[in-house]
Amino acid sequence: MFITFAFVTLLGALGMLLQKNVIVAGLCMVATFFGVAGLFLLLANPVAAALQIIVYSGAIMVLVLFVIMMLNSHEEEAAQTARPVQRWVSVALVAALAFGAVKLVLTSAGLKALAVSGEPMPGAMTLQKVGTTLFAEHLLGFEVAGILLLAAMVGAVALTKRNL
Amino acid sequence: MGVIVKKVELTWLDRTYVWPVLQGMSITFGHFIRNLFTPTAKRYTVQYPDMKREIPAGYRGLHELKRFEDGAIKCVACFMCQEACPARCISIEAEEFSDLNLSQGFQEKRPAKFSIDMLRCIYCGMCEEACPKDAIWLRKEYEVAAYDRLSMQFGKWNLMNTYAEADGKEQLTQDPTPSVPRRTIAM
Amino acid sequence: MDKLASLLHTTPAIVWMVGKVVVVFLSVFLLASVWTWVERRGSAMIQDRIGPNRALLFGRWPILGLSQLLADGIKFFFKEDLVPEAANKGLFWLAPFLAFVPALMGFAVIPVGKSFICDGVTYHLSVLDPGNGMGLLYPLAIGGLAVYGVLLAAWSSNNKWSILGGMRASATMVSYEIGISMAVVAVFMVSGGYDPAEVIKAQGHLPWTWYVARQPLGFLVFFTCMFAETNRLPFDFAEGESEIVAGFNTEYGSMKFSLLALAEYSHLMTASALVATLYFGGWQVPFMADPPVLLSVASFLVKMLFFAWVFVWVRWTLPRFRYDQLMHLGWKILLPLSMANLVFHAWRMSQGH
Repeated sequence: MFITFAFVTLLGALGMLLQKNVIVAGLCMVATFFGVAGLFLLLANPVAAALQIIVYSGAIMVLVLFVIMMLNSHEEEAAQTARPVQRWVSVALVAALAFGAVKLVLTSAGLKALAVSGEPMPGAMTLQKVGTTLFAEHLLGFEVAGILLLAAMVGAVALTKRNL
Repeated sequence: MGVIVKKVELTWLDRTYVWPVLQGMSITFGHFIRNLFTPTAKRYTVQYPDMKREIPAGYRGLHELKRFEDGAIKCVACFMCQEACPARCISIEAEEFSDLNLSQGFQEKRPAKFSIDMLRCIYCGMCEEACPKDAIWLRKEYEVAAYDRLSMQFGKWNLMNTYAEADGKEQLTQDPTPSVPRRTIAM
Repeated sequence: MDKLASLLHTTPAIVWMVGKVVVVFLSVFLLASVWTWVERRGSAMIQDRIGPNRALLFGRWPILGLSQLLADGIKFFFKEDLVPEAANKGLFWLAPFLAFVPALMGFAVIPVGKSFICDGVTYHLSVLDPGNGMGLLYPLAIGGLAVYGVLLAAWSSNNKWSILGGMRASATMVSYEIGISMAVVAVFMVSGGYDPAEVIKAQGHLPWTWYVARQPLGFLVFFTCMFAETNRLPFDFAEGESEIVAGFNTEYGSMKFSLLALAEYSHLMTASALVATLYFGGWQVPFMADPPVLLSVASFLVKMLFFAWVFVWVRWTLPRFRYDQLMHLGWKILLPLSMANLVFHAWRMSQGH
């Protein structure tokens, strides 16, 4: 299962990067979101999976595709061919980053705890648990995020609608 | 001069939009229930091949060439209908015949061929209007269809027999009197 | 069941699961196709017409025109399958499936009847057992995906009218989904759980304790939004025949078109099942605390089909909205209403404690 979802995620991401067609790239991104939602499910967090699909695939990508269709840019201009130096530098950078990420995961405390102790997995996440966590432990962060979003929304309206 | 359009004042109940929607739905539901308990035969729809509409008097359907009691054609081949026809679908060939008798009003001319191209006919009824002898009628038959163009060319005998079955008359296939070759009359 | 399982070399649990999936999805599929007939006959009755009644089964039995379904199905199969020259071929093929699968999948969490215990094993009458953690978030998530089918069908057919239809559909979907979520959150809050089984249990068996009586405003908002979500008539902006030819499915023909049409009807079925579950007590039988299993299934079916019929009924009553009216209704009326509903119930709960 993990392998399947991981492949869906990675293939989606790769497809999104390599695809010339913007709409198809967007679809690949949806596939990636699906893969990630599947991974969330495997991590016993169905709430995050559902929210991932509702918010990202259901709303954000639809809006993005909407905007793409509205601007009607079906074909992108051909990008300038990269010089070999750039290519090598980027490959080296990506390799370094990937190496660092994998090493970080392998040496993390969580993995060791998982390998050593045979204690039972924590129960599946539910909406109730998410709620209590948000409003009890992370209340300040939640409120700050809410204020930030509100400010962003007001700003967006103020920017686009000149004569209020 | 402008027309003053009276604006409908909406009450607060209408403004909620919910109440008018319910009213509309009750109307449609009334229709639904009424139709549900009406047998299909009694609804407005005329289910065509099974049920047929009452054809009103004066309807202009398929033509009939009228005949006398003895089966002789009433048409005297005067070509009035052919002239009157706006669609030019009638073509007539005349011939003479000898046996003059009273019932036929002492005619001596009749069509040898009388054909109507039903594909071109527009059922305007001009031929009926033009006919001095009331020999062509447009009657109530309206199901005129065929599989090929040729069978839509109605000839003299087709046209004389179009309503024979409906009226309970016999099918005609020949004139009661033979034709005679054209005589030249010395003036 | 044990015998069947041993015959197939599997466990009873798997046989039960597969059986559930096949039965539920097949019946939703069949109901959706039957509903095309209900739509046509119902609209005919409403408009004083007769509707399809001439197709005969085996050339003999008219059975109220139901065999029209078979005739249409056969016709669709044998029609030429056209793909426009400038269309994006892959997406053009993919789109009907993307429209159809989410519409059907949303049904998975909805319990069609009371759970029962047989030989010490509890059998749940929903494809996904309760306690799966997704609960009613799942149909919302899947329902939101249905717009991709419309959007892709619109875009891939490379037709201006189609794109207009697809864009209007996606804008509608995004606007109305918020109203739906707010209304549903109020239900979750009052019932104290978001699993359909919990929601149904919290509603009890008395009709005046169902959420339609306790949250009439929420029901109104949710039901209205469902019309937009399923692209049904007062809000069917994806296919405004009088404005944009036939909308997103202009270029579609043959089996792909019928799949798009079936997707709409499956979506309608899922939506009415959701309404029945959330606001009308799901499988609860009125005035019967512990109904037999079959009766509960029948009760659920009656409720679901009633709402499916209401969808048809409303379609033939109301004319289509204008696009700005739709946006006005969605953002300025339904969203504040559902928020007010949420706040009101939150306030009542806080008073109760």
